[in-house]
Amino acid sequence: MNAPLLEVRNLAKRFPTRAGREPSPWVIRDLTFAVREGEFLTIIGPSGAGKSTLLNMIAQVESASAGEILFQGSQIGLGDSKAMRPGLDRRVGYVTQDDNLLPWRTTIDNVLFPLEVQGQLDDKSRAHAQMLVDAVGLKGFERYYPHELSGGMRKRAALIRTLVYDPPVILMDEPFGAVDAQTRMQLQEDLLRLWTLGRKTIVFVTHDITEAILLGDRALVLTKQPSRIGAEHIITIPRPRNVKSFLTMPGFAEIYERIRAEVL
Amino acid sequence: MTTIDQATTLLEREPPISRKTIVIMGRAALAVLLVIGWQAGAETFGSIFFAYPMDVVRRLIELTVSGQVFVDLYATLRVSTIGFVLGTVAGVLLPFLLRRSKRWTEAIEPYVLGSQGIPKYALAPWLILWFGIGDTPKLVIVTAMVFYIPFVNVFAGIRGVDQRLVKMARIVGASETKISREVIWNSLMPFFFTSLKIALPRAVSACIVGEFLVSTEGVGHYIEHARELSDTVGVFAGIVVATTLVLAVNGIVEYLERRALAWRPTDRDMVL
Amino acid sequence: MSNATATIDADVVPAPGWRWRTHFDRLLVAVVIVALWQVGSMIFGVYWLSTPWATTSRFFAMLFSGELIRHSGYTIEESFIGAVIGGVPAVILPFVLRRSPILVSILDPFMVGGYGSPKLALAPLFILWFGIGLESKIALVASVLFFIVYFSTLTGVRALDAKLVQMAQVMGASEQQLARKIIFPAAVPNIFAGFRIGLPYAIGAAVITELISSNRGLGYLVQVGAMNFDTTQCFVAILAATIIVHAVGFGVDGTERLLLRWRPSSEATLQAGGN
Repeated sequence: MNAPLLEVRNLAKRFPTRAGREPSPWVIRDLTFAVREGEFLTIIGPSGAGKSTLLNMIAQVESASAGEILFQGSQIGLGDSKAMRPGLDRRVGYVTQDDNLLPWRTTIDNVLFPLEVQGQLDDKSRAHAQMLVDAVGLKGFERYYPHELSGGMRKRAALIRTLVYDPPVILMDEPFGAVDAQTRMQLQEDLLRLWTLGRKTIVFVTHDITEAILLGDRALVLTKQPSRIGAEHIITIPRPRNVKSFLTMPGFAEIYERIRAEVL
Repeated sequence: MTTIDQATTLLEREPPISRKTIVIMGRAALAVLLVIGWQAGAETFGSIFFAYPMDVVRRLIELTVSGQVFVDLYATLRVSTIGFVLGTVAGVLLPFLLRRSKRWTEAIEPYVLGSQGIPKYALAPWLILWFGIGDTPKLVIVTAMVFYIPFVNVFAGIRGVDQRLVKMARIVGASETKISREVIWNSLMPFFFTSLKIALPRAVSACIVGEFLVSTEGVGHYIEHARELSDTVGVFAGIVVATTLVLAVNGIVEYLERRALAWRPTDRDMVL
Repeated sequence: MSNATATIDADVVPAPGWRWRTHFDRLLVAVVIVALWQVGSMIFGVYWLSTPWATTSRFFAMLFSGELIRHSGYTIEESFIGAVIGGVPAVILPFVLRRSPILVSILDPFMVGGYGSPKLALAPLFILWFGIGLESKIALVASVLFFIVYFSTLTGVRALDAKLVQMAQVMGASEQQLARKIIFPAAVPNIFAGFRIGLPYAIGAAVITELISSNRGLGYLVQVGAMNFDTTQCFVAILAATIIVHAVGFGVDGTERLLLRWRPSSEATLQAGGN
């Protein structure tokens, strides 16, 4: 009935072995999890655990060595790079660690970029884009170039750039890693607010336990290489969650301790 | 569903022909194609415009056997080298001298940059007027062409020197000369060598071209003289010699650079 | 102690009267150069070294009579057409080859060879083929510019951040859209650099071909001037050529600044090499 939107089964990945050398180690092996529609799933893992690789495989920009990925019940092409469709025909959005804004476009042109590419540019979509721009506090900065924006502003622009074309699933790869603590809290607030408006399905990867608990409905813990899902935690803390007073919310400390013990 | 074992075979399977082989074969094929094209060109357009490859080869052998090619090569290299040395010395010295005085630097900078725009070859007829047909006009042109390369590079290098190092040296009492020699020269090294690497082939090139206009000897002269006599084979042969010469000089310089800088972790390459 | 501070500061903060003093200095240098020039022509005689005044007045005379414009026009025309013929394929080729690194590898030694070889040495060959008209100059300009622009563009295409391409692919961009919207804009600075460096060479190539054999153009004016012991004409033509080279550079820089407003100002371009 409530079939998972995205399912990963026994996913495995290792990088191609050079001829005549030892087979390279498995980065990911036997990784299985599922995501329901409208769920905010966070995945915690130490750096180097293959988090980005996992997301790359789901987004179809990297091929898997073994295993399956199912989207809305149907398997998507793996292992054969010709059959891969990056972004799964725009059903999977991907917010990467680097903001990857096009430096020669203004903020608003960057946000409109996916609509342009997809041929969806019209008054309605432009208005939607402007609404997102206002929602994350970038109003007035539409004509600025990326190098004129602060790190946090660029992150926001990258974020709404993915939101603007409404992919059902959004992958996020430590998007708030490289900013200072204040900005990060602000971005987390913005993200939660936007998510509440749209209830998208989000798979959010991070190394920060607090962030994982704060944002997610469910948090999965990734083991070290060869990575698999080590544990699953349902975050029982009710929504809406207050970012600023989060650390003192009831229930937070226990979940945090539980997870921390596993990650270490 | 791909199992782990299938995945292993999938990944481990090497392509039948390695990429390297394809590239080498491709290059060989292209080279052969070019020669065939050359031959075809000669047959289509006639030997006035297109010398036959075999004729060119024969002429090259003749020139080698008779020693003529060496006479010309020597003439070209002689002038190129002297011009290269003069141009480099001037191009390196001037920034160092200017370093002492910001005032002088600003005063003459626009003129040096302005003079860079003069097409040096255009000076050739006037130089011939003065010095006649001999080494001097070529020498002047080569020197002028070479000069700007180290000048711009060394200048930029000096400006790029970490000013904190210079300040430190001054504070501990180093004289200006000492600062020039130690701090600046060392920071400069990569820029300096890069500019040398560019300048030497450029000098040879410039000399060859200069010889078109003013000369009785040298590789460039051979080409132009052949053209005047409608000796197409000679033109082709001369171009082959000229190209080989410059590419060889290029190659030698690159080889020396690789040897000298083998220990360097980073490459600071300035384009052109 | 105070001496040390004085020298350090001199490097850092310019004193208030600086601007005027620099202009004055430069003017002074100009005067000195002209004075030396004048003295030189008085010592050596006008046949060997024309005077500053004669050069200037002839320059304007030839300008207003239209003769200078006519010959400059030929040289510019040759350079421009040659730049288009050589430059356009040089820009397009890296984009076409982008999808096939094997082809790029195969071509590489030929391109490097072409780049390193003295293209100007082909001038007599082109004159042999095309005669003393426009075509021989255009051919040489095209040859010179092609390799320079090819390598600049190739660098730009290669240096492209793969993550930008990936991002656009995830959003559903087609190959064509990738080329147009991502790769080309990213390579534009390099393309400009290629032209910025190559155009002076191109103009020089046109002039040199004119010097060898032509019946019009600035190089022709220089050659004829020298033959007639008319050093004034030589200087006027050389001056005109220099002005053109600088004007072209100015134009390219200006266009670049306009198109590349999005660049953070820390990216400076250094040009080396003479003309």
